Amino acid sequence: MSDLRDLLGVAWAGLAARRTRTLLIMLGPIVGVAAMVGAVGLTESAKGDLKQTLSKLGTNLIVAKAGGTFGQQDPVFPEDAVDRAKAVPTVTSAAATSELSGVIALPSEGSAEHFEAFPVPVQAADLALPSVLQVPIRSGRWLNESDAGGGSRAVVLGAGLAREYGFVPGEIRTIRLDDIDYGVVGVLGPVALDPSLDNAVFLTQWAAEHDFGTEGKPSRLYVRSEEGRTQETADAIPTAISLGGPDEVSTEVPTDVLAASARADKTLQQTALFAGLLALAVGGLGIANVMSISVIQRSSEIGIRRAVGHTRARVGSQFLLEALFVGILGGFAGAVVGVAVVYGISALAGWVVVVSYGRIPIWMGLALAVSVAAGLAPSVKAARLEPLETLRLG
Amino acid sequence: MIGPLLELERVSRVYGEEVPVYALREVSLQIHPGDFLSIVGPSGSGKSTMLGLLGCLDKPTSGTIRIGGVDATALDDAGRTALRGTAIGFVFQQFHLIPHLTALGNVETALLFRGITRTERRKRALDALDRVGLARRADHRPVQLSGGEQQRVAIARAIVTEPLMVLADEPTGALDSKNAAMVLDIFRELQSPARAVVMVTHDLGVAATTERKVSMRDGEIVADERRALAST
Repeated sequence: MSDLRDLLGVAWAGLAARRTRTLLIMLGPIVGVAAMVGAVGLTESAKGDLKQTLSKLGTNLIVAKAGGTFGQQDPVFPEDAVDRAKAVPTVTSAAATSELSGVIALPSEGSAEHFEAFPVPVQAADLALPSVLQVPIRSGRWLNESDAGGGSRAVVLGAGLAREYGFVPGEIRTIRLDDIDYGVVGVLGPVALDPSLDNAVFLTQWAAEHDFGTEGKPSRLYVRSEEGRTQETADAIPTAISLGGPDEVSTEVPTDVLAASARADKTLQQTALFAGLLALAVGGLGIANVMSISVIQRSSEIGIRRAVGHTRARVGSQFLLEALFVGILGGFAGAVVGVAVVYGISALAGWVVVVSYGRIPIWMGLALAVSVAAGLAPSVKAARLEPLETLRLG
Repeated sequence: MIGPLLELERVSRVYGEEVPVYALREVSLQIHPGDFLSIVGPSGSGKSTMLGLLGCLDKPTSGTIRIGGVDATALDDAGRTALRGTAIGFVFQQFHLIPHLTALGNVETALLFRGITRTERRKRALDALDRVGLARRADHRPVQLSGGEQQRVAIARAIVTEPLMVLADEPTGALDSKNAAMVLDIFRELQSPARAVVMVTHDLGVAATTERKVSMRDGEIVADERRALAST
């Protein structure tokens, strides 16, 4: 026990005596661990927002699209597609939209020249659409029973379209669909899961049938499933809707795309991790290099220690312990620097800080292993030095 | 009379394999407790080789070395290291102090790994420094000490373990005459009935201060003289 204490004292004194050199060789583990902590922390923090959004949106929304085989234009579902989808036991809610082709939307009279160049998708929507999408109404209201019953020609604008039209909340405004005036009753909030809806104008199925002669066949279905059963529900929906018929139905889970985009950062993360490992490896070489030189510079010290009775093992352990201290302190300092960088940059970028503290000990251990491995050869060299040669007698 | 403290019996040290060069040839020598002896000879006479063998820093090619009755030639490296630690104290021409340690730390180095508490180690090291008149300089690093002081610290390091033999290699070689005289005085004081002091030197003036003078040439002992010292 006292031997170990003596050894720790000797190794510590050796490091403390050469502070600049010690700091320099510590840079390897510091940079390595800081790079890894920082890389993973920053990529995770950059995704932190996305993950929050993801959990807010819910990962159980399914979008079903009518598939057009054999060049069929404007493919549609059967009229009762919503009911058919709701027949799937794991479906909790569903709403449909039908896109009206060839209907030109204009914010006002006389603006045709500008706006005809940017066709606005006109969607006949179910009243349940915002609740299925879990999207709030930004201003005004959504289409209601009265509208659907033919009480009024009302439309709701997508968030993006409202901005494009310069719509002011509370403003009394009409827009033209072909030649028919519609009153704007509200603006739908942004739909993160289907951004194409942001630029759309929504009207009721009644209006679509009455004014534009549609058959009320939906082209797109938005379906919520029970939590955790999204994929099997998505798989069941095509059969439920087509009922064995020829209608092609494709489904997708939009949050999968988000999740994939969250995962896409893995490449960056791995690159950065690799850079950290590289820094660690280069740092290891630095430790090995500097310690080798140090063993030569300290050969007189080694010789005298051996002369006064310190065994080869103790002299070797002394140098190995110095490498161990470098690894421990460097790894710890690197972790502190890494976490500080993550907090600093996240604060600047306005990210939600995510630090995987659980993985830090692994990286610190790695830095330690690299340092000790790097110190191994110099330590063996120190242990093998012959005192007779280092003391230059006579 | 008690047996010799250190005994060399027909010891040879040969370097090189194909063309053997005899650094020492069939040398026999006995050193007794209380001996104050110098080994003298010109460069290449084999005195450095002799020092390495006496100090258990080297193994002879043939012959036997016994230290305190223990056959040192039969020991492995660890055994010789342990023997060095207990039986021999070294003083070198270049002092070989560890630059980042204080005088006290340098002396304490010889007491490490012996299961001695830090307090006890300090006390003994301070005592040893006191014996060479440097207790007040205990906290100084080697660069803050004069050559003579550094050598006295080295002597304190050599005696702090109470060795059977103090082995000095040209201990005054790097010192001016005043400091050299002081160091030689200390060596003379170190002599005790239980301990031997051996100095290896090419300086006949230094050799003249010892009671016994062993002269070497071409790897052999050519003279082993004893005389009473005029001054003591």
